[in-house]
Amino acid sequence: MASNGDDFTARLMDDMDPVLLDFVKTRVNSFIKWDLVRFFHENPNTADSVENIAHYAGRNASAVAPELEDLVNSGIMEKRMQGDTPIYSLTQNEDMRKLIDEFITACEDRHFRVKAVYHIIRGMR
Amino acid sequence: MERVKTGISGLDEMLGGGFLPETANLVEGAPGTGKTTLGMQFIYNGIVQHNEPGLIITFEEFPKQYYHDAANFGWDLVDLEKKGLLKVIMTSPEVSRQGVQSVGGLISEYIHSMGARRIVVDSITHFARLTQDPIQLRSLEFDFINALKREQLTCLFTRESPVLMGEATEDSGIGFIVDSYLVMRYVEIESAIKKALFVLKMRGSNHAKDIRQYNITATGIEVQSRFEGQEGILSGNPRRMADSFVEAFVKR
Repeated sequence: MASNGDDFTARLMDDMDPVLLDFVKTRVNSFIKWDLVRFFHENPNTADSVENIAHYAGRNASAVAPELEDLVNSGIMEKRMQGDTPIYSLTQNEDMRKLIDEFITACEDRHFRVKAVYHIIRGMR
Repeated sequence: MERVKTGISGLDEMLGGGFLPETANLVEGAPGTGKTTLGMQFIYNGIVQHNEPGLIITFEEFPKQYYHDAANFGWDLVDLEKKGLLKVIMTSPEVSRQGVQSVGGLISEYIHSMGARRIVVDSITHFARLTQDPIQLRSLEFDFINALKREQLTCLFTRESPVLMGEATEDSGIGFIVDSYLVMRYVEIESAIKKALFVLKMRGSNHAKDIRQYNITATGIEVQSRFEGQEGILSGNPRRMADSFVEAFVKR
């Protein structure tokens, strides 16, 4: 019975646009990444070092650094070296920016947020 | 000579027609005097009235706040960004400095890709984070300003004044580096707080020498008439000229 219940929950939580489901599962798969994506969506021309981005996001640089790297690897962020300092900014790729727009718009819906949170927590296990 | 018009009612006339092209211009004021609004208006009007793309570099206030505040004045900055005519860039003094001074830097890339002609840096006060040495600070500001001028931009720098009223103190010497220097002040007149604007200096140009009242209206800053019949405006506590005359000559 418990297994059937888990299956039902999983099916319910997977009930979203498959592109967004993949986006949540593979790209925005932590709460820090979610915060960062939302921050850069609201402030799309931010370009700064890990330390300053962490400062803007109200988090520790040590926690933000690996998440920014993941976002670079998944195509959401871009990294360029300025001297010895890596500078991070939102991707200029139009398709990816459109996908981010869709994700942020979808997050306005409480049911979508609940599902996204579920997948992030499951991914962190 | 050609002028870079701010499009702000009354201000261009004070500036002899507008800023001179490719110059560095400083706007100093206490919190709430409208420095950022003036900067946004300079950029917005440049785009919509003169087809001059612009950049806003912010070191503290989030771009989201600019979009929101500008929308209250009827300026759709988000739409201008989508059209590639504007970028509101959040960054830090150290990154922006390298980004415009180094070859292929991020800020330089934005300037070239957009064909930017105007820039607002809000605020230059944050350069003080880079060093506590006033001589080095002046040198850093000088290099940064020159790098922006090299890009043929007309620049507007805001600067935070620590005093709400009265005389402000010069702390970095940037007033000597820039080409023009505008001051926005609160003044108390008859138990009401009003706002005053004056042009302290404008290199290579004539400019208004009087102190003028201005308001932040629903459509932005509007510079109005000079303060009539008042003296001691810069002290923050002006007196009617007749009162000072009586005090000086009649009571003796």
